[in-house]
Amino acid sequence: MDGLSHIQSIVTFAWWIALDLSVLLYIVLDGADLGAGVFSLFVRSEHERAAIMSAMAGTWDANETWLIVAGGVLFGTFPFVYGSAFSYLMVPLALALWGMITRALALEFRHLAEAPWRRFSDICFGVSSLVVAFFGGMAVGALLHGFPLTHTPGVVPTYVGGSFRFISSFSIWTGIAAVIAVTLAGVLFIRARFEHGEPIREQAARWTDLIFYLALAAVAATVVINAIIFPWAAQKWFGPHFWAWGLVLIAVVLVAFKMRAAVRADRDFHAILWFNLAVALMAVAMMVTVYPWIVPGTWTIYTGASPAVSLFTFTLAMGGFFPVMLMYNAYQIWVFRARISALAAYH
Amino acid sequence: MPNDALTVFVSRLDFAWITTFHIIYPPLTIGLAILLFCAEWRWVATNDEGWYRIVRFFERLFIVNFAAGVATGITMEMAFGILYGPFSQAAGPFFGQVLGYETITAFMYEAGFIGLMIFGWGKISRGMHLFATFNVALSSSLSAMWILDANSWMQTPTGVVLKNGVFQVTDWVAALLNPDVWLGFPHMLIAAVELALCFVIAVSAWFVLTKKHVTLFQRPLKFAVLALVVIAPLQVYLGDGLGLTVADAQPAALAAMEGHYNTYNPDGSVDTSWKVVGWPNAKGDGMAWSISIPHVLSLLETHTWSGKVEGLNSFPPADRPPVVVPFYAFRVMVAAGGALMLFAFWGLWLFLRGRFSVARIAQNRLFLWAAILCGFLPYLGIWCGWWVREVGRQPWVVYGLMRTEQGVSHMDLTSAILWLLGYMYFELIVWGSTWYFFAKVMRRGPDLESPVVHGGHQHLGEFDDRPKGEAPPYVRPI
Repeated sequence: MDGLSHIQSIVTFAWWIALDLSVLLYIVLDGADLGAGVFSLFVRSEHERAAIMSAMAGTWDANETWLIVAGGVLFGTFPFVYGSAFSYLMVPLALALWGMITRALALEFRHLAEAPWRRFSDICFGVSSLVVAFFGGMAVGALLHGFPLTHTPGVVPTYVGGSFRFISSFSIWTGIAAVIAVTLAGVLFIRARFEHGEPIREQAARWTDLIFYLALAAVAATVVINAIIFPWAAQKWFGPHFWAWGLVLIAVVLVAFKMRAAVRADRDFHAILWFNLAVALMAVAMMVTVYPWIVPGTWTIYTGASPAVSLFTFTLAMGGFFPVMLMYNAYQIWVFRARISALAAYH
Repeated sequence: MPNDALTVFVSRLDFAWITTFHIIYPPLTIGLAILLFCAEWRWVATNDEGWYRIVRFFERLFIVNFAAGVATGITMEMAFGILYGPFSQAAGPFFGQVLGYETITAFMYEAGFIGLMIFGWGKISRGMHLFATFNVALSSSLSAMWILDANSWMQTPTGVVLKNGVFQVTDWVAALLNPDVWLGFPHMLIAAVELALCFVIAVSAWFVLTKKHVTLFQRPLKFAVLALVVIAPLQVYLGDGLGLTVADAQPAALAAMEGHYNTYNPDGSVDTSWKVVGWPNAKGDGMAWSISIPHVLSLLETHTWSGKVEGLNSFPPADRPPVVVPFYAFRVMVAAGGALMLFAFWGLWLFLRGRFSVARIAQNRLFLWAAILCGFLPYLGIWCGWWVREVGRQPWVVYGLMRTEQGVSHMDLTSAILWLLGYMYFELIVWGSTWYFFAKVMRRGPDLESPVVHGGHQHLGEFDDRPKGEAPPYVRPI
């Protein structure tokens, strides 16, 4: 591959930020929907399960679309990474896809289904939310391991390691951690979306404490495992800038407890914002840890980038489309902000 | 690691299956969004309740179709990398960028407004809702433009050089405005409109035929048939033009579509005959039997009486596409398009003779049955059109530059087969439930009781001071 010019390196870096931003928005927005789906598996009343679905009816599609945007940026700007990583992750991605499709169908078709099928549809919705979160998390864990590439001269390096290389105890753990994290997001979402005094909101409130400590423990465990098994992580964290990483850690813990205080005070919207801030802090910290790799040990953002990146297309996308997208997304969430009650189920 | 022929074939089937079961949904979304916008605009402009009821009814069918389209569409974006990893890497600089634009400018744009369009009734003003519908129509058409641009580039890859195994873009304008897209995109967009018109025609005809809400559905039936009078011939015209582009850019694909093996007859004259039906011989270098009409091939492909059309035997065997699929798929597509045009003219004749009134159209059972049949023909046409396009391009994934076997991922045969079985099962369920729910929405019929919505105010949740315990006024989402 030809090297990138200086300006292209800068543009590639900027695209990488855009990619991370899309992934982060997806995790923050759709994470709550997925978590509410996992939570719905433990909701007994059929009307309440329906109400969970109508709580996200107007926005789930747009939230999920951030993943598609991330996929588009990855394909467009980092095609070498896209083509090889997706072959590597074929199995977890196919299963996560199965989950997304099933969720979409359950969400859109439930209100049309006959009564006996509604229970089935609800189970599909809950299980598929769980599957998306688990295999999504597993895919991230598997990516952190890196994967082997071919070395044929004159041809782009690609993946040949078989379909099941992605399975490791670490990737299984990241899958579980992802489920815990989205469940916390889902519980907060349900608290914010339902009327005070609704039984489902009470149930979510009871869950919050337990899930909060679980999530905290999961984050701590993930950080420790990372430091032990990945030399690139340990090098950064315990290198000359160790004090900065310490500050990040303190900030995350502080934000987490601010979130808990907001939950206690019934300030549900603030709780979500604090939670999202904690997720954002951790995501940025992880991105900085991995940099300059996009897949550790396999592709850096510069070797994985398309040689066709240009300032023009970047400016067009970021200056023109991204702000507009953020605007109408925000407007949409604003329109559907009202709290609802279980009566609001699709009829 | 070289890919063996069987694995390549199964990988092709994998992708063919998911695309075949994706392409039946987006065209209806695109076309129906445009029609919904027109009908809603008439409602906002005239305050005629009939238009409102029609919009709300067809919107319910629209939602069912849209959900299936999203579900099968997300699969597509991931499948490029999973099934065609090396192709995605090599073509990424152009192909990936274009798909990236599709997600940013069209997919996201559509997702943003579709939530407002479906669930915004009663929450946003009428004007804002109309604006949301407009944006759904525009964004879904934009999506078709990007996708067709990417696919057309695979047919006629201009503006790139293949260097170190990567398609480097040397000329963005030439790549984006490649020769095939000029007619490829309009042909698809008009196909989407034609499909939606036929869908509206078939659904409305069913209501008129079964004597339910006849006055309500006579109007969409009439307008859709009249629109089809323009759209159906336009589609035939565009298709003919696209055929000329294919003849120019991909002569081997054209020869396969026409089952045209020999450029010259044994006596040395140019073979101008067009085969109506036929079957290739075992050796694959000619037709075992065929029924042909002289001069029609030259007329169709060169627009001259006896112009020369290159035959399949002029190409090296390794560069020849399969014949049976493109040959028959092409004929079925043309027949479907022609039948729709004739149907539209029949409708026009009825209209001009004043037989389209509410009372008289309900009596014309033959026309109504034909109208219902018309709802299925465009689906067949779209499928066949894509099969012609994709199978005709073989053995290339990027025409003339990259072979399909170089583009597929290095999967083992078991994974490829498991993927195929998994998605066959899955997408058949999606397809089945889509039709089941179409039928259900139709049996339920339009909702004539609920009050017409007005742009309403709603409670502001966190941001509104309201004494706790007071029940909020609530507008049901659908």
